[in-house]
Amino acid sequence: MSSKNPPKLANWLLSKMVGEELQEEFLGDLQEIYEERLSAKSKVFARCMYWVDALHLLFGFTSFKIFKTQNNNTMMLKSMFIIAWRNAIRQKQFTLLNIVGLTIGISISLIIGLYVYHEKNYDNFLDQTNNIYRVNQPNIWGDWTEMSSTTGPNVADALREEVPEFREVTRILNQGSQFTSYKTKSGQVLSFKEDQLFWAEKNFFKVFDYEMLLGNQETALEAANSMVLTETAAQRYFGLDEALGQTIQMREWDGSSKSYVVTGVLKDLPTQSHLQFDVLTSLTSAKEQMDMHGWKWIWTAFSTYVLVDDGADVALINDKLQAIPPKYAPPTTKRIFNQSFEEFTAGNPWKLDLQALPDIYLSSDPPFNSFGPIGNKQFVQVFMAIGLVVLTLSCINFMNLSTAKSSSRAKEVGVRKVLGSLRNSLIRQFVFESVLFVSVSTILALVIVSASLDWFNLLAQKELTLEPVLMNPVVWLVLIGFVLTLGLLSGGYPAFYLSSFKPIEVIKGKISKGQQGKTLRNGLVVFQFSISICLIICSLFVQKQLSYTSKIDLGLSDENVLQIHNIEQFGFNTEVIKSKLEGIAAVTLVGKSFGVPPNVMTGDRYRSTEPDAQVFQLNNLRVDDDYLNVLDIEFLAGRNFEFERPTDQYSVILNQAAVELLGWTTEEAVGKHVAVASGNEDEFEVIGVAKDFNYHTTRQAIGPLILISDKNDKVWDYGAGLSFLSMKLNPQSIQTSSDLKRVLDQAESALNEVDASIPFEYSFMDQAFEDNFRTEQRMATVLNFFTLMAMIIACLGLFGLAAFSAEQRTKELSIRKVLGANTGQLTYLFSTGFVKLVIVSILISAPLAYWLVSLWLEGFAYRTPMQLGVFVLASLISLIVAILTTGYQSLYVASRNPVDTLKGE
Amino acid sequence: MKNKGLGEFEELVLLAVCILKGEAYGINVKQEVEKHSGRSVLLGAVHITLYRLQDKGLLKSEMGGNTEKRGDRRKRLFEITTQGMKQLEAAQDVRQKMWSLIPQLNSGQ
Repeated sequence: MSSKNPPKLANWLLSKMVGEELQEEFLGDLQEIYEERLSAKSKVFARCMYWVDALHLLFGFTSFKIFKTQNNNTMMLKSMFIIAWRNAIRQKQFTLLNIVGLTIGISISLIIGLYVYHEKNYDNFLDQTNNIYRVNQPNIWGDWTEMSSTTGPNVADALREEVPEFREVTRILNQGSQFTSYKTKSGQVLSFKEDQLFWAEKNFFKVFDYEMLLGNQETALEAANSMVLTETAAQRYFGLDEALGQTIQMREWDGSSKSYVVTGVLKDLPTQSHLQFDVLTSLTSAKEQMDMHGWKWIWTAFSTYVLVDDGADVALINDKLQAIPPKYAPPTTKRIFNQSFEEFTAGNPWKLDLQALPDIYLSSDPPFNSFGPIGNKQFVQVFMAIGLVVLTLSCINFMNLSTAKSSSRAKEVGVRKVLGSLRNSLIRQFVFESVLFVSVSTILALVIVSASLDWFNLLAQKELTLEPVLMNPVVWLVLIGFVLTLGLLSGGYPAFYLSSFKPIEVIKGKISKGQQGKTLRNGLVVFQFSISICLIICSLFVQKQLSYTSKIDLGLSDENVLQIHNIEQFGFNTEVIKSKLEGIAAVTLVGKSFGVPPNVMTGDRYRSTEPDAQVFQLNNLRVDDDYLNVLDIEFLAGRNFEFERPTDQYSVILNQAAVELLGWTTEEAVGKHVAVASGNEDEFEVIGVAKDFNYHTTRQAIGPLILISDKNDKVWDYGAGLSFLSMKLNPQSIQTSSDLKRVLDQAESALNEVDASIPFEYSFMDQAFEDNFRTEQRMATVLNFFTLMAMIIACLGLFGLAAFSAEQRTKELSIRKVLGANTGQLTYLFSTGFVKLVIVSILISAPLAYWLVSLWLEGFAYRTPMQLGVFVLASLISLIVAILTTGYQSLYVASRNPVDTLKGE
Repeated sequence: MKNKGLGEFEELVLLAVCILKGEAYGINVKQEVEKHSGRSVLLGAVHITLYRLQDKGLLKSEMGGNTEKRGDRRKRLFEITTQGMKQLEAAQDVRQKMWSLIPQLNSGQ
């Protein structure tokens, strides 16, 4: 929502409802006054007043027309409207409860609807969306039953060769963070760290037809060393006007730099895309790597996308793909692992699967996407369920209150019948009233949603918009359908039931008021409360689980660990930096590693050197002799690296999980040997067994890990990859934020002394662990809010029913009072009925919540115990809330003077 | 409807249109009324009244005077008709007459 423009929805409504001849001046006036208010007062005020004025004009000028034409229909409509209005005014409490409850319910389901709509419409902006597929393969590095979205570079070559049905095959690779620099005309050098930088092939734009602002889609990625930027990225360097032909330097691994020429600028990518990049460089720039590794099937860093023709039989093509890996992958397994294809796969099918582009974002298999965001299907489903439930709750409320209220209109119906009213027109009146209620609430809900969407977006970190969705006529059909359905349903029962009364009986008072449908109403209250209690229990457990995961024993000390990134940019010799950092007063220890928990993702295939040993996938982490001390890792057997001993260069340390996997006990393990199951199979001696510690998200159990010396040059990735220096800070010397700032400044200047062109980036390990659960935290906040709303709706319903029941039972309670009951007894008598309902709800919801929570907790390796206390707490909350809601009514009724209530008899 | 006389708000709006002399449209009429009467008025109320007065034949209007501020939309400029003027004067007369009939309170009595 831009701040400059008035609410589009209001304009749209006006333009549809108000005559053509009036529109121009109205919209003009509205805009003029809006801008005045915007500059004088707040944006919220201006927008609210805009709505008020717009609706005022709308009603002012449409009702004008209706009420001026004096024909029978409009007269009837007018009279129905007036009667509805009078009834609404007469029972202000009911009216308010109805409108508030419905509005909350509709608003929430609208917001959730928008969220779900947003999540389900990823990657829908491309011309060819429905003809694009991604090629997935099993996760060959671990669990073969799980799919992986990345494949080796040779997959694309093989597909081009074997499958003529694919119009285009293109692959991309995420290069991770890269350091770039640009020399401006004035000679100033600007350096940047680009985090989203892909290699792309020249036919990339044939598949993904992003809008190009400058340059030629056909040729932009053809030549070596060409580069395409997004608009925002281009602005960062030189702006749009002179972008084409500029040269940007990119730092290579060895410290040299390579020049790229800008050949195109793209419009910024829509956020609703599973691919998010700032820079594309042509794959031909990486000729050296591709020549050397392009034939591999295990360099699984590429995503391969294919474009098919309209109406292609994808299932058939998919079947055909299965013949490709057995034909093309064997050279890889043979040359790298010295295994046949069958030995490598060990009976698992190495399949290739086509996944349709629109399905990618919300799929849970493959669970990762290396090229941009991935959605959470579970969240979408949970929220969809909550939206439906909340809507149902508020609808039930409405129906409940309407039926309860209607019986008090029995006399009105009787009199109308006596005066000659037809049954039809009575039915019409009731239905009209409830449709009116629903429409008013829907309109209110639309206004509330459009006003609160900014806030929701902030909370959920989304960019939802209401206006474009409302331009869709289908949405309006659904809304109108909803209004009519709910109106008919809730107005229908009283309409048909009441209009069937015989006037004589009603007026004589024979119809016992409000007894009909009592079971139904009680049932509905129980349903409402069951759902609310269930939601309360669930959100309590979500909170508990989140705080539990943040408190579990990680097996390492993650506090006061400051991690400096980009150390790999300084080249091999980082001892200078390390000793400089060790010189800082607050620093007690500095260690180097090639990954930092909770983001240790690298791994390789290892086996023990015993005969016939099986090959296992282990995570690996290369560290120096200080790093494990920085983390305060406990050793169960053996010792840490000691680089004074020359043999330690080729020693390894295992964690418990790895020792178990290799089939040893902790004591046996020390002194055994482990070999990398590829390449030249050098053997490394195990010198220690470390206690398991979390080096990955706490969502998962701790996997097997092998710790390798950073000086071990017999591993293939020696020296490559990101590296970090982690500093243990003395908590005494960083008590204030200025202390911390000083330490950071000292560290930064230490690094700048060595090479000032490398950006200083740091993180704290404990924060990184917390960040793992940020989406869950955010969703927990949203869930809490929705739970609160559901509870409010249920309470509104209960309050309404209590009020109704109070009205009905006034005489009964008064007679009891005359006969000697005191206020306390009456209050007790009156409330027990409702408390019973709530207790029934607790009994229903507890097992349901238990089942739901345990379902959710299955996704976590570390689960908070399912304590009875939480259930009790939730039950108490709902009981107290229920007693408070009905308490006012019961006290009021019980304390009334019988003279006032009984004198009418 | 002709001889029904003017409502209080209608009178204020008519007067505002007279004050603004050919420049009167929704917003400045609203501001004028707010300025003199000291109460806040909704835009919609002004529009409804303007149109009612036009239907009664007390005002006439034409489109014109578009400005950038309004997203280049034209305004409907209102002007008082002779009949409108007559009505205003009649209302003024009635009041004047009635004022003059209030017994004068002599100071000192």
